[in-house]
Amino acid sequence: MNALAPLIVAVPMLTAALIAVAGRVVGARLAGVLALGATLGCAGLLVAVLVRLHGRIEPVWIGGWHPRDGVALGVSFTLDPLGVGLALFIAVLMALALVYGRGSLDPEPPHVHVLALVFLAGMVGFCLSGDLFNLFVFFELMSVSAFALTAIDVDEGAALEGSLNFAVTNTIGSFLAVIGIALVYARTGALNIAQAGHVFDHGHVDGLVAVALAFIACGFLVKAAVVPFHFWLADAYAVAPAAICIVLAGAMSELGVLGIVRVVFGVFGGPVAAHAEAVRTVLVVAGLATAVLGAVMAYAQDHLKRMLAFVTIGHVGLFLAGVAMLSSAGVGAIAVYVVADGCAKAALFACVGIVQRRLGHVSISALRGAGRDLRWTGAAFVLAAIVSIGLPATGPFLGKALLDDALIHGVGSWAVAIAVGASALTGAVLLSAASCVFLGRGRDEPGAPEYEPLTEPQPSTPVTMWAPVAVLLAAAIAIGVIPGVRHAAHVAGAQATAHGTIVHTVLGDTRAPAVHGSLPAPPAHDWLLSLLTVAIAFALAAYMLRHQRRPLHALRALHSGRVGDYVALLCAGAALFGGAFTLALH
Amino acid sequence: MTVLTYGVAGWLFLVGLAGIVRSNNVIGVVICLGVVQSSTYVLLLAIGYRTGAKAPILADIPTGTPVVDPVVQALTLTDVVVEATVTAVLLALAVQAHKRFGSLDPDAMTRMRG
Repeated sequence: MNALAPLIVAVPMLTAALIAVAGRVVGARLAGVLALGATLGCAGLLVAVLVRLHGRIEPVWIGGWHPRDGVALGVSFTLDPLGVGLALFIAVLMALALVYGRGSLDPEPPHVHVLALVFLAGMVGFCLSGDLFNLFVFFELMSVSAFALTAIDVDEGAALEGSLNFAVTNTIGSFLAVIGIALVYARTGALNIAQAGHVFDHGHVDGLVAVALAFIACGFLVKAAVVPFHFWLADAYAVAPAAICIVLAGAMSELGVLGIVRVVFGVFGGPVAAHAEAVRTVLVVAGLATAVLGAVMAYAQDHLKRMLAFVTIGHVGLFLAGVAMLSSAGVGAIAVYVVADGCAKAALFACVGIVQRRLGHVSISALRGAGRDLRWTGAAFVLAAIVSIGLPATGPFLGKALLDDALIHGVGSWAVAIAVGASALTGAVLLSAASCVFLGRGRDEPGAPEYEPLTEPQPSTPVTMWAPVAVLLAAAIAIGVIPGVRHAAHVAGAQATAHGTIVHTVLGDTRAPAVHGSLPAPPAHDWLLSLLTVAIAFALAAYMLRHQRRPLHALRALHSGRVGDYVALLCAGAALFGGAFTLALH
Repeated sequence: MTVLTYGVAGWLFLVGLAGIVRSNNVIGVVICLGVVQSSTYVLLLAIGYRTGAKAPILADIPTGTPVVDPVVQALTLTDVVVEATVTAVLLALAVQAHKRFGSLDPDAMTRMRG
């Protein structure tokens, strides 16, 4: 394990360096094969580590700097099923994105592959890191490569705008995180998550602890794109190439939520557990507000990718609400939901990429009926949309049912009602967009542009583009029926939330005991609720197709596309969260 | 002394953010982002500072001499490297934006509105 774990980050990183140096010599084709090979190698290493981990927690000390007498000075990877599992999911998504992008991403010179591998290294490093400062470094590594990947089509002006907004807001987010980390170090003298957590367990909770928690949490919430930090995401995902969106929407925002898990159960596990009720309220309100706003803003969009970006925001809100339950069941539910929903969302983005290739446009009103000939793409889009609402027996259904269960136990059924409403609205938006584009249904929008391709439409869809869609859809559906998923989710949730075990395992340099048991199977009422959600989504979609879209001027004006406005709202949000966390830990 | 240093860190943080919010030039935004980041350098170094202590170059000084915390200095260096990378990417974007739009005003780049 000690030898394997660092290779997970080193393999993509070294391959990236190799392609950067030798890319021009070996050519784009070979560079692509190398990148795919490194990504698959990274995935293979993660599988090996996950199998050997066997549902436990195990620290790996880089350079052999083991802790002595319970004091950890070295830098560690703290391997746990949640982090390693998420890293594996990311590596698989990246492999699919590289296959998908073969036709569509500009292959020469092979910068894309270099950036994609660095992006991968940053994300998997973030999942594995057991050290706060490394968390920040990997966070920045993935952010910077994501900025560049978003703007990879420099010929498009919108790509530059989206990337600039993305870069400025996320960089401020990482400054917030680093200030919080500095404050943690000032108080505890430790950067290891377990070591700092151990000190916080025994010290008294004062203003500095609350402020440090608020700073770090805000930093990760910017990455997760939680209201009011979400503005950058819609701008960035709308303009990034579809292949990149597969990874961005499928996994990157979710890493912000993983960061929150590391913070509230690792570093601040003691203080948060002592004030669980108040912290839960803060996070669940933020999460559900994000879910509702994402759904409403998705409804107001005419740009297919921007619509999907807001759908992503809405779903991240639900993930945060699950983590907010501060329970093993909540985090376990999210582990299933993130992977299953990530597959469905990635499939949606991939379908839109195919639409963009075949029709040369991504505006819903302009494309009305233009997609009639794209039967398979349309079918895949609709299937992905229905699956993502939570069609019974699919992966998102399982995740959502487990989440509803955790929400009822944590805060009550009102939260479930909001979550169901948000899911139904997002689903309706997706379905109405699909029937407009692929079936030509829908109202006459005043001032709708005539369909005229912006880029040259291609006559066919290569197998490298549709095969990933099929794989993603199959995965999203299969997660709901594979036996053992609920057991794995239970183990991942239980280990990631066991503050005492994490501290003991890392500082004692041992392996955590195995966890037994399984999350409960969704009861009958969850099946009914889920069918009801799908039915509401269809009814809402039918309503939307018959009526004019409401303009929602005030809400859309907030999303001004101006980076200064976004930063001002980010500051206001950080102040709000700071106040809320201070009150919560008071 | 220490209170003043933390005050400077807070001031740099806020004034940099205000600059980003008010800036009408992308290069200005990048520079203000650098100002915000400077606040993290000052904060980190202030945390590790000890009055009367030596620089942590342990080869040249007798054992037992008090030194300032070398960890925060390493963190600051890492932070500087990160900032350099971000600035480079942002400036590259600014150059490209100037090529496309002929302007560096963020108000001219709001195609993503709504």
